[in-house]
Amino acid sequence: MTRILFSDKLDNCIAKWRSAGLTVIGPVQGESLSGYAAVEKAAGFEFGMVLPERPLKELFFPQTEPMLRYTIKKNEIDTTDFTAPQGKRIIFGARACDASGLAIDDPLFGWDYKDEYWFQRRNESVIVTIACTKADDFCMCTSLKLAPDSTKGSDVLLRPIDKNRGWLIEELTDRGREAFAIISDYLQESSEPAVPTVVVPEKFNLDACVTWLQNPENFDSKFWKEISMRCIGCASCTYLCPTCHCFDIQDEGDTYSGIRRKNWDSCSFALFTMHTSGHNPRSTQSARWRQRIMHKFNYFPGKFSVNSCSGCGRCSRQCPVDMGITETLQEISKL
Amino acid sequence: MITQEKYRTTVKELLASGSVKMVIGYKPGSTPDRRRPLFIRTSEEADQLVLDSTCMTNLSGYLVTEGLLSDEKRVGIFLRPEGIRSINILAAEYQLNIEQIVILGFDSTGRDVRPLEGRNAGDFSGLLSEIKEKPVQTSKEPLLERIEKMNAQERFDFWQEEFSRCIKCYACRQACPMCYCRRCIVDSNQPQWINTSSHTLGNFEWNIVRAFHLSGRCVQCGNCDRACPVNIPLRLINQRMATEVLDGFDHFAGLSPTQEPVLASFKKDDTETFIL
Repeated sequence: MTRILFSDKLDNCIAKWRSAGLTVIGPVQGESLSGYAAVEKAAGFEFGMVLPERPLKELFFPQTEPMLRYTIKKNEIDTTDFTAPQGKRIIFGARACDASGLAIDDPLFGWDYKDEYWFQRRNESVIVTIACTKADDFCMCTSLKLAPDSTKGSDVLLRPIDKNRGWLIEELTDRGREAFAIISDYLQESSEPAVPTVVVPEKFNLDACVTWLQNPENFDSKFWKEISMRCIGCASCTYLCPTCHCFDIQDEGDTYSGIRRKNWDSCSFALFTMHTSGHNPRSTQSARWRQRIMHKFNYFPGKFSVNSCSGCGRCSRQCPVDMGITETLQEISKL
Repeated sequence: MITQEKYRTTVKELLASGSVKMVIGYKPGSTPDRRRPLFIRTSEEADQLVLDSTCMTNLSGYLVTEGLLSDEKRVGIFLRPEGIRSINILAAEYQLNIEQIVILGFDSTGRDVRPLEGRNAGDFSGLLSEIKEKPVQTSKEPLLERIEKMNAQERFDFWQEEFSRCIKCYACRQACPMCYCRRCIVDSNQPQWINTSSHTLGNFEWNIVRAFHLSGRCVQCGNCDRACPVNIPLRLINQRMATEVLDGFDHFAGLSPTQEPVLASFKKDDTETFIL
C-alpha cells in the first residue's frame, strides 16, 4: 500500500500549504514562455509539458540579485546588506533533471565560501518532483546516469497514476515528510500502480567521453575548433542550464552610492576571461566551448565527484544554431 | 530537391576550380525540422548540404568571423534576399570586401525552394529594388495589430512585460549579422555605460539601444527573434523601426554595397538643423 495524492484534492492541498505559510510554486505555462512560478490554485499548474523552458535554478540563483547598498562619505563607507528574501516554499512538480541540478550545485555554493543566498533558499524550499512519463528528442538524463524518476535533489518523488488522476507518494527526506504531514488529511492509501516512467534512450557513452576529456593530449585537439565553428557565442545554453552557476559582481550607481549586484555570467562571452591588460586566455569561441565541456565533465567532477550536467537538454533544445552538449559528446564518443 | 541537387553540384565545382575556399550552407539538424550551419571545404562535405524551405537562418554573420576573409580568398554563401541585403550593408559599412563573396541565392514560397539568378551582389540589385517597391504581402500579425491599437502607456506596459523575461544572454546580438562590433557598448565597462543587470531598467536599456542601433540596418531576417530563448517578439521592434526609416528617409536597408548608411551619413542640404 502506498499513499496517493489525487489531482482533485490538489486545490485543498495548495490551500493547506498556503495557510501553513508556504508559497506554492510549480510548472506554469505563461502566454509565451513556460517556467516555474507561484500559483494559488491547481488550475494554474501545467503538468503536461516535458519540462518548463526556464530552469528551476533561477528560483535559487536569480539572474540578478542585490547584495549590498553602499554610500561613500568623506571618511567612511556606509553599507547595508541585502539578504535573500525569507519565506518557505514548496516546489510542486519539479522535473528530476531540475531537482538534480540543485543537488549538483550544492557542493559548489558551499565549497570555500558558503553562499548564503543559495543555502537560505535551499533550506526553505521543499522539492516535490514528478517522475516523467514523456520526453522529447533532447532529453538525455539517462546518458548522465540519472533517470526520469531520479530522486537526486528531491524531498518527495511523485509517480503519476493513470489518466492524470493523481500521484503515488515517495517521501525521501524529513523536509518532504513534514510538508506532506500538513496535507495528510487529503491523502489516501491505495495499491494502484504508477504509470511507467518514460524510456529515455542513451545518447552517448559518458565514460568514454570522460576518458577522452581527461587525456591532456586532447586539450589541443582540432576537434574543438571543428565542433564549435558555428557557435555564435551567446549565453542561451549557460543561462538555461540547470547547473551553470557562474556569476559576476557589479557595482551599479555613481561615484558616491549604488548597489552591488550578483549577476549571471557566462563562459560563452569573450569578456568572461578578459584581463585588465587586454589579454584573453580564452580568446576564441572554440576555447570557450571547450571550457564549458571540460568544466562540466572533467574539472567539476574532479573537484566534487559529480558531473555538472543533469541531462535536461535545454542547451540543445534552445540553441540558435542547433549545437549543444548532446552533439558534442556524441561526436567525442566517435573519436 | 532539384534545387538542392543542382546547388550541391555547383558547390563542388566552385571548390574544385578553386574559385572559393569555403561555402557556408546548411545541413540536417538534430530533429527533422531543424537545420544547422555547415562549412563546406571538401566534396564530401558538399554531400551533406541541405536546401529547403526550413533553411531560415541568415548565415551572413559568419562572413565577418575574425580572419575568414583576411587572406583575400573568396567564400561562397547561401543567402535568401534578406541575407543578400545583409552583406550589402556589411560591405557599405566596410566590414567585408563584396568582391570576395560568391552568392548562392535562394528563396522559398511555402515548401518550394527556388534558386535566385546571379553570383555577385550586383546581380541582385533588380530583385532587391523590386522587393522594396513591392514588399511581399504577408498577413498582418495579430500581435502587431494589438500593439498598434494601444496608447503610449499601454505600449510601454506591454514592452515592459515582454522585456521582463529578458535574461541578457545576448543571443539576439550574437545571432544578428549587423552586430559585428568587436566590443559591444554593453561590454564596455570602463565606465560601464549600460547596466549589466537584467532587471527592468537594464533590460530596457539593452533592448532600446539595440532597436536604435539597428534602425536603417535591420533587414528583418528574423535571426534575433528565432534565437531569443525567452520568446520576446523582437521582430516587431525592428519591423517598426524599418517602416519609420522607409517612410522618413525612403531608405531600404541593403539595396546595394555602396548605399550610404541612413543614420551615419550627412548631407549639407539636409532640412534638419541637427543630427541624431
